Amino acid sequence: MTQTQNKTYWKSLAERDGSLDALEADPHQAGPAPFSRRQFLEAAGFTLSLATLSGCGRAPEVTALPFVNQPEGMIPGRSQIYASTCAGCPAACGLLVGVRDGRPLKMEGMPEHPLSRGGLCAIGQALPLSLYDSHRLTQPLADGKAANWEDVDKAIADRLRGIKENGGAIRFVTSTVTSPTLQATIDAFLEGYEDAKHITFDAFSSSAILDAHEKTHGIRVLPHYKLDEANVIVAFGADFLGTWISPVEFTAAWQTRRAPTEKHPEMSYHVQFEGGMSLTGGNADRRYRLSPTEYGNVLSHLAAKLSTRAGKDAPAGSLGESSIDGHDIEELAERLWHARGASVVLCDSQDVSVQVLVNFINHLLGNYGKTVDIERPSRQRQGNDAEVLQLVDELKAGKVAALFVAGTDLTHNLPDREAIAAGIEKAALVVSFAEREDDFAALADFVCPDHHPLESWLDAEPITGLVSLSQPTLQPLGGTRSILESLARWSGKSDSAYDILRANWRAKMLPLVESQPFQAFWDKAVHDGFVSTNTPSATVGEFQTEAVSLLNVESTEDEFLLSLYSKVALTDSRHAHNPWLQELPDPTTKVTWDNYVCVSPSTAEKLSLSDGDLVRVESNEGGAKVELPTLVQPGQHDRVVSIALGYGVRGTDRFTDIGPQWLEGRPTVAPGELVGQNAAGLIATRNGTLQYTAAGVTLTKIGGRRDLATTQRHHTLEVPRNVAPHGAEVRDIIQETTLSEFAKDSHAGTPHAHHHGDTQLWAEDHPKSGHRWGMVVDLNKCTGCSACLIACQSENNVPVVGKDEVFRQREMHWIRLDRYYSGDDDDLQVAHQPMMCQHCDNAPCETVCPALATVHSDEGLNVQAYNRCVGTRYCANNCPYKVRRFNWFKYEHNDPLQNLVLNPDVTVRTRGVMEKCSMCVQRIEEGKIAARQHGESVVDGDIQTACQQSCPAQAIVFGDMNDKTSKVHRAFENPRQYRLLEEFNFRPSVAYLRAVKNREAQHEEGGHHA
Amino acid sequence: MQQRVITVVLLIGLCFGLITLVAGMSSWRLPDNEQGYAPKQPIEYSHRLHAGELGIDCMFCHTAADKSRHAGIPSTDVCMKCHKVVTSSFDVLQDEMNKADEEKRKPKQIVSEELRKLYDALALDETLQPKEGATAESIPWVRVHNLPDHVHFDHRAHVAAGVTCQKCHGPVESMQRMEQFESLTMGWCVNCHQESTKTGINGKAVDAKTDCAVCHY
Repeated sequence: MTQTQNKTYWKSLAERDGSLDALEADPHQAGPAPFSRRQFLEAAGFTLSLATLSGCGRAPEVTALPFVNQPEGMIPGRSQIYASTCAGCPAACGLLVGVRDGRPLKMEGMPEHPLSRGGLCAIGQALPLSLYDSHRLTQPLADGKAANWEDVDKAIADRLRGIKENGGAIRFVTSTVTSPTLQATIDAFLEGYEDAKHITFDAFSSSAILDAHEKTHGIRVLPHYKLDEANVIVAFGADFLGTWISPVEFTAAWQTRRAPTEKHPEMSYHVQFEGGMSLTGGNADRRYRLSPTEYGNVLSHLAAKLSTRAGKDAPAGSLGESSIDGHDIEELAERLWHARGASVVLCDSQDVSVQVLVNFINHLLGNYGKTVDIERPSRQRQGNDAEVLQLVDELKAGKVAALFVAGTDLTHNLPDREAIAAGIEKAALVVSFAEREDDFAALADFVCPDHHPLESWLDAEPITGLVSLSQPTLQPLGGTRSILESLARWSGKSDSAYDILRANWRAKMLPLVESQPFQAFWDKAVHDGFVSTNTPSATVGEFQTEAVSLLNVESTEDEFLLSLYSKVALTDSRHAHNPWLQELPDPTTKVTWDNYVCVSPSTAEKLSLSDGDLVRVESNEGGAKVELPTLVQPGQHDRVVSIALGYGVRGTDRFTDIGPQWLEGRPTVAPGELVGQNAAGLIATRNGTLQYTAAGVTLTKIGGRRDLATTQRHHTLEVPRNVAPHGAEVRDIIQETTLSEFAKDSHAGTPHAHHHGDTQLWAEDHPKSGHRWGMVVDLNKCTGCSACLIACQSENNVPVVGKDEVFRQREMHWIRLDRYYSGDDDDLQVAHQPMMCQHCDNAPCETVCPALATVHSDEGLNVQAYNRCVGTRYCANNCPYKVRRFNWFKYEHNDPLQNLVLNPDVTVRTRGVMEKCSMCVQRIEEGKIAARQHGESVVDGDIQTACQQSCPAQAIVFGDMNDKTSKVHRAFENPRQYRLLEEFNFRPSVAYLRAVKNREAQHEEGGHHA
Repeated sequence: MQQRVITVVLLIGLCFGLITLVAGMSSWRLPDNEQGYAPKQPIEYSHRLHAGELGIDCMFCHTAADKSRHAGIPSTDVCMKCHKVVTSSFDVLQDEMNKADEEKRKPKQIVSEELRKLYDALALDETLQPKEGATAESIPWVRVHNLPDHVHFDHRAHVAAGVTCQKCHGPVESMQRMEQFESLTMGWCVNCHQESTKTGINGKAVDAKTDCAVCHY
């Protein structure tokens, strides 16, 4: 537990309640060695002598294969950067693909991109691993058997001809299509059929927002929210920093208002109402626990208050009792009113009447045209649930002759799977474009695998008027075919995807830009990755006040409400085959490799549940159920249980043998089981929308346990109280202050800690004149989204260890995101702290290394020479920040194709050595060499660490501290700057900027933690 | 019983070790020191002829030495810059020309044995026309200078500092078959870094660091 001034921080409930004996051994961590010391020495001696002898021979012969014809511009050993668009989700962030010797290796954010502004989320970073996946289909399938394209094309064309003659119904289902060319190709393909329809189905739909705008503005669109112009952000459930619609864009915009300075101590005010504990909720200035069914209630009260304030009549309908303290609503309404035109209300409810209320409030506040743009709307979610539900009925009735599905797994992501599957059987032609055999593809007559996004040409238009291009970065690895080409073939054309794309751009995009020759326009678009077009604005109708009515929702006390959410790492089932993402600890719960049922601490106590206890969650209506382990989640609403979607994906039993295989190793998934369970069966369908937060459920403890591999207590910076020196039991790890305090004193929040003096351990005989690398992390901007973690994993060849090794605290991530809670469940606050090697000047690890494998460099880095390391692990034991990782195994990829993802600039560490964050020393050296080559000195900003480059919140600054003009130098002089465990005089080169919450000064509430 | 098994295993191990040791005695050196390694290459390419006699600059073929960490093994099309015309050694070609002149006929296309292998790799026939049904393949050159994976050597930095190729690769221009001239051990690297920092390279002051992280990452 950590305490700053008057606030107590804790990482887990056991810690808060003091029931955790910090020295208590976890049953999974310890274990006696299986053989004796004598036997060990015998074996070791034998191995050593053999190893010495075998070293005397010649090294094995290695061949080096040059190109036959070297492509122009390619330099062996150098990365080439291509501008592209991320296809991880429909948000379509700007992407820079680093291609090294023909292999796309490193995904980075595109700094010039107007939406993502250089950020890229964990999913975008993890794209290359899914590219080099031998489980992807390499050829089409016909009735589940491998086939060739000619036969498949012929069979599909034949059946289509039959359907055309009979006038049968063709249904083409896709997830949101932001690509204008793909949309045009689908439209062209469906043309000429009597009864053909393109249906957009999102695994996580925002259909209600679009439907609500149709009611209030007469146009079915998703607004483009501009959070950088919002002084007050009120979000109901919308996890906009983590998973909702376009998280990287929203984080990039949100962070611009989260940097108070001495001169301008101002920042946005962010309130979150939610049932579960989301990433966004944890970053809010004020978070209220509110059941999703009661969003309408609070919104109605807000609407009524604001109507009065605006001197208008409140909308029709009656007001019930407010779910939130009336005084708080009054205050919030007041804040919103004062921020008219610079505020925004967001909501993820799938209830159209609730969304209509949201529109009304945004309209009343004059936010339309300012923070909420519907004239140039977003196209990132276009799902139309009413049409999806109609399709389901048609399928069940056997009215569909041909069904095409692309970009989504139809049966995995919808409730009532069995009935839909039976309906699909009745269709004459079922085609899937899935890149692997997913649940729907297994039912399809033909699977026509599309390229991986890194292999294909495509475009995207995330916001009307912003069109971006994706370009292939390598030859397709298998015999896949672009969906554009497949559709063209079946329409009787033989164009390539490139031709189709160019033709569409020539016809549709060229007229929308200032006139220039097409080739010049195209070349610039390919170079830049995106273009802005003069697409005419949508015509928006007058606001329809009569559509709005206040809602009087009675809160139900007798049943639990299920809230289905998507996880930051996986969003939906498409990324379930990516082990990097599966092993990414969830930013809030810190659980890897599983989904689970989140329940609040008091509910858990009532039902006598604890972490890992299996519970059955059964819908009160349909009877659908799942059985999953419990996770007791602080901040969870007492009547709300949350389960993540996107799990239980077909084929994830492949992870049985991921990670090291050894005597005591246990599989990541039991043979025949999948990673997590699919909870899509519990999605409720009401009023024409798929509702993720509507089902009443019953919770039953069924006995039995499944432990969750959580990293929450691993590598803690705290000392067990019973061994801590007197007066140092509590460490000021997280430092926070409030905006009002900060305005008064920019150093507010500095703890009054006892410093152990400035005695220097080493003689100060180094001139410390050249570069001195340092890093500053702004805790006020960091949302904990964990993009940096995957960026680091991708850049530094960090292995995946599997669930069992995570149980043993042996995860290898070089950055971990420490998450601390404070406050109580009704007003829970969360602090995230990225923790990587602090590169201390007085590094405790260096003094204990008997092999001099970890030493200090001239430039202030704490370096680790892997080939010197003998694996004593003294350094890890002595590291106060617990950032060193030991290679207990070799951690080879169990899929050899995935070796292609390794970055050749970074050594793959062998078994038995210690590793840790090197501050991307390979990038530092590269930057220095490049500068020296041109006879220049390193310019601030030229060298970026992997974590810094892709941080969506731009929270990480890295550079040369000796350069007085550098950003990092200035950041070190920021009054909010503090270094961790400064009192011990480690002199770390990494500093943090104190978090500032926009709320009243806090006082320790309650006394439940000593 | 167990004792006996262990003894037998140890004995077998010892025999195996001894055999390996004796076999390796002919070229005794410390583990991982490959000095003098001169493997047979798929084509008997002569640096002595090209770099020495003909005086072709190293970077004419190893184009990336000043651009990348790898100097680069030339792609096969680089050979064809000259060997489109030069299909055999000068003497043989000259003889054939003279003979053809005497016999009043067109000179025959003469392809030397080694260059035959080059054209085979490029899927070209006797007359240097593409062979039907054959595809060009990379020539599997055997790597001579092979640093361990835990060392990062960057050609670019050394070329920019003015270190000559010969400093590490030895008198390549006099080598018929390429061999590893220097030991390329860490001590050898560090010595040069320290010397260069003291004395400079070609009169230019350099700061060749000896921090671990300069090479090991």
